[in-house]
Amino acid sequence: MSTGAAAAPLGADGQPLFELPAELAIDTGVARRVIREFIRAQLRQAGFERAVVGLSGGIDSGLVAYLVAEAIGAERLLCVLMPYRTSSPASRADAEDAVRRLGCASEVVEISAMVDGFFGLEGAPGAAGREGLEASPHRRGNFAARMRMTVLYDRSVTWGGLVVGTGNKTESLVGYTTLFGDSACAFNPIGDLYKSQVRQLAAAVGVPETIIRKAPSADLWPGQTDEADAGVSYPVLDRLLHWRIDKRRSGEELAAMGFDPALVERVERMVAGSEFKRQVPPVAKLGPRTAGVDYLYPRRRPGSARG
Amino acid sequence: MRAGAGRLNRYARGVQSIRIALAQTAPRLGQLDANLARHHELIGEARAAGADLVVFPELGLTGYQLQDLAADVAMRLDDPRLARLAGATRDLSAVVSFVEESADHRLFIAAALLEDGEVRHVHRKIHLPTYGLFDERRFFAAGDMLRAVPSRLGLGVGLAVCEDFFHLSVAQLLALDGAQLLVNVSSSPGRDLAATHEVGLGTASSWWTLMRTYAQLTTSFVVFCNRVGNDESISFWGGSEVVAPNGETLFRAPLFDEGLFTVDVSPGDVRRERIAVPLLRDERPELQLRELARVVAERAGLGHDTTAESGAEPGLDVAPDDPPHEPIGFRKAR
Repeated sequence: MSTGAAAAPLGADGQPLFELPAELAIDTGVARRVIREFIRAQLRQAGFERAVVGLSGGIDSGLVAYLVAEAIGAERLLCVLMPYRTSSPASRADAEDAVRRLGCASEVVEISAMVDGFFGLEGAPGAAGREGLEASPHRRGNFAARMRMTVLYDRSVTWGGLVVGTGNKTESLVGYTTLFGDSACAFNPIGDLYKSQVRQLAAAVGVPETIIRKAPSADLWPGQTDEADAGVSYPVLDRLLHWRIDKRRSGEELAAMGFDPALVERVERMVAGSEFKRQVPPVAKLGPRTAGVDYLYPRRRPGSARG
Repeated sequence: MRAGAGRLNRYARGVQSIRIALAQTAPRLGQLDANLARHHELIGEARAAGADLVVFPELGLTGYQLQDLAADVAMRLDDPRLARLAGATRDLSAVVSFVEESADHRLFIAAALLEDGEVRHVHRKIHLPTYGLFDERRFFAAGDMLRAVPSRLGLGVGLAVCEDFFHLSVAQLLALDGAQLLVNVSSSPGRDLAATHEVGLGTASSWWTLMRTYAQLTTSFVVFCNRVGNDESISFWGGSEVVAPNGETLFRAPLFDEGLFTVDVSPGDVRRERIAVPLLRDERPELQLRELARVVAERAGLGHDTTAESGAEPGLDVAPDDPPHEPIGFRKAR
């Protein structure tokens, strides 16, 4: 398959930092400007001046921290590091490095006791009972993501800032997110950027190279990577989604462009199967006027800002 | 000769210039009073800057993504707040935009030309985009009148709102009706950041191409005022423009920056261009009318399409290989 590549930014070693498919290349100057104004407007319209970001040491949350600092100043940003006992120490070191460079406030909240308190630890059952000791990595991963969410929303109160989302478009479309976990936020500045575009923007705003180069991982167990989990590389997945969703090409047209038909079909199922994660849950229509159905107001309108 | 002074004045303008102020503002969503105050301020600033015309963006008085708020911020044309705004335009022209509620309680996206203390003309947006990220037809009624009007500027003025300019007929009709200055007020959401675009924003490239094309084809000035700021997910991109009757971009405001930008134009350029390139003289509205009447009748199944293949559906010139079953009531014209 022919894949035109745009000029990806180079690292300190003179090598491209990542692979950038040509059709995904964005004008990072315009993106930064739009996102800066978006972040400011979201906070102003909600009556907030501060923001909270859960910083994992990965590129998505790293980029969001940089963008928020650029928009409102690092002094108004709180980064919360929430490692679990098996989390990668390298990720934590990268997160701490980003915090140092940004000069923002930060806090480490270990979530091990929260997760282990439920599932149990070393043969001692937790709140989930004996069965919890056998919980799959999938259940544990989702639980950990939701514990991080509760921590962020608590810090939203103590710091007095809105929780900023860090999910990208690729993971949202294929459903590689935890409902009410990592996807929970007040607003998301990078949710319409594919992973390849996140990388491009991260390089433009100065996110450290080690964070940009690192293989993306949900860090649910040591050595896990997104791309091994999904069985497809981000540049290929991003291109496929770009042509399928943004450019409205059919599965047949994608196959004719050289995409593996089995992959096209698999991604199609992932996107359709995760529709529920991208939408507000439906409310049974009973009354004359129902939120989201025929009661349609802007989320931010006169009177909606915190007093 | 009572009107003599006025006439002399208008001819004299041929060698003078008109100062246009583009108010590239960021309206506050649903905050009519705050936006009204801002309009009064900017009209004052424009006057101080010697402007003859100040143009505000689409729904500059209310914000764009109103949804069910539209009814709450609507103004009747006899609303005292509108009268006060008009009152601020002595010796000045202004184009402002708001939600207009008609006597029969339809809500329109309106643009008004205010001059010398009065509401001179009101244009109701006639093309309401309801596709993609737009949902205007759900909340608003579509206008159904298009008029060019005389103005104290000495030029005929034609008003249009945003999507109106995505339909070829609008600019043409306004020019044929006497407009020499086409004003498009917009709340255009910026999207498509592909690096291959002129300025890294697909929407901007697309709009600027349109503005230039309309100016050139109607041999008229085109004034484009687009808002900035954010409503919900949407970022508005600004990039307001003034284009000369020959298609030359005279001024382009920066992307995303709020500001009041002034630009001087020579009204004499309209005459020069229309004599050098008499496109408007050579328009054939009577032919369009005739052919449009035919096309409309054929699309409605009321006439036989002489240019279509046998068996083609009304409105299509190509017949399907395997004609589908026809539902009752949908008989083809033969």
